[in-house]
Amino acid sequence: MDKAMIELLARHAGLAKALAEFPDDVTAAAKQAANVAEKIRQPTDPAAEPWPPMRAGAGL
Amino acid sequence: MRDGPVTELHWLGVAEAAGAIAAKDLSPVELMKALLDRIAALDPQLNAFIRLDGEAALQTAKAAEAEATAGRLRGPLHGVPVGIKDIINVAGLPTTGHSKILQDNLATADAVCVEKLRGAGAIVVGKLSTHEFAIGGPSFDLPWPPARNPWNTDHHPGGSSSGSGSGVSAGLFPMALGSDTGGSVRNPASCCGIVGLKPTYGLVSRRGVFPLSFTLDHIGPMTRTVADNALMLEVIAGHDPHDPGSASVPNGHYAAGVARSVRDLRVGFIRHFHEIDVPAEPEVTAALEHVARTLQLEGAEVRDVHLPTLGEFGAVNRVILQSEAWAIHGRWLRERPGDYGQLARRRLMAGAFFTAGDYVQAQRRRLQMIAEVEVALREHDVLLCASSMDPACRIDRPADIDRTYPRQARTPFNVTGHPALAMMAGLSLDGLPLSVQFVGRYFDEATLFQVARAWEQASGVDKKHPPIV
Repeated sequence: MDKAMIELLARHAGLAKALAEFPDDVTAAAKQAANVAEKIRQPTDPAAEPWPPMRAGAGL
Repeated sequence: MRDGPVTELHWLGVAEAAGAIAAKDLSPVELMKALLDRIAALDPQLNAFIRLDGEAALQTAKAAEAEATAGRLRGPLHGVPVGIKDIINVAGLPTTGHSKILQDNLATADAVCVEKLRGAGAIVVGKLSTHEFAIGGPSFDLPWPPARNPWNTDHHPGGSSSGSGSGVSAGLFPMALGSDTGGSVRNPASCCGIVGLKPTYGLVSRRGVFPLSFTLDHIGPMTRTVADNALMLEVIAGHDPHDPGSASVPNGHYAAGVARSVRDLRVGFIRHFHEIDVPAEPEVTAALEHVARTLQLEGAEVRDVHLPTLGEFGAVNRVILQSEAWAIHGRWLRERPGDYGQLARRRLMAGAFFTAGDYVQAQRRRLQMIAEVEVALREHDVLLCASSMDPACRIDRPADIDRTYPRQARTPFNVTGHPALAMMAGLSLDGLPLSVQFVGRYFDEATLFQVARAWEQASGVDKKHPPIV
């Protein structure tokens, strides 16, 4: 993720103030998030459900 | 290191203190005064407290003494002091999350876990240091300083339940509440040489606790012995119809069975966590092998087990945790970024950079990981693995904190929700605690305590206290 992309995403997330006051922290945050999702094996079964499942009426 | 029989009030355990008070051999006031004296002497070095509520604690101890004298005991913790991590509500005190953001956030009611402790007779001593919002790390740019490790005050006590670990270990109070989203009960338990349990997800109500990540947050007991941990869990566990994640299961009786033999229990040893995925310090590896051999000598069968890698568990945990935390903190991060410390600001803002797809894929993989751990626990009664791969590092070296923080094996069981207990496995050559982790089947904390107690009894780790006086 390059600097322009980080700034674009940060502004889209409403982090303009953080970007102005703490640009290094915004960059560090973006770098923490970068590539993390790639370490997760994607389920190949299209029907693989997320956890926790929707359970109507439970826990309400 | 101190190693010997309990002769001082500050080393009395939960059950010992409660038993002595019930037998009228110990006054709750005498116990509270001894601990308040110790807090006054040691907390300036340890910073375990954000807010000491000493006067109120002493008044409550006087009432507890009157009740005990009249033969009216509130419950199994009557007169026993407890410390509360400062993301957990205690009525009448601020819940700050160790953050400027919530500096004046006065709680109007107790969290359910606190209400249960007080109902059982426990006395709240005060609110304890945490990493900011249970995520930030040991920070020096917050309204309060970070807690320190009583085994060596130059070292990190672990986190995020830092004050809980530091204070229990140092004998400031015999029990504390912590919270655990990526290992935050078990990390300070590991660094400070005490017993910390992350119960099964949903066993302890989260109502009244400031959230970090809805599907990963757990509340857990922190004590100096396994039996005390079981006793504390017995009090705080139970269904809460107002916590959507609360499990509706019968109340467990954890304390009664801790002394059972482990003969013929099947223990799965997850060696690849510390041998391949994140190679541990040699002292940690040796300590884990010693635990495994000791359990074998006690009659357990120990076999190797394989699970997904720590790297993948950690990635799933991070995507879910930071995405959910962003949902909670996004508004403040947009409007008041300067009111966070730098570590929390960086970690919480990371959630803004994940996509909805990242989050859902992590939750889909999570269900598969749960199934893989379930298979291992069908073939074994308990799993054994590392907790931390290193002893506690120095608190004043950010690079060391950054390096050692991810070198752990705790996040897998936040992802899967299985109960997991961390405790001392020995001491390093430098005199710092080494740790081990036991993992159990859903809602089978009883077997977890049984195995942990067998190790504790065989090794005597519960007799080891930090050298701080």
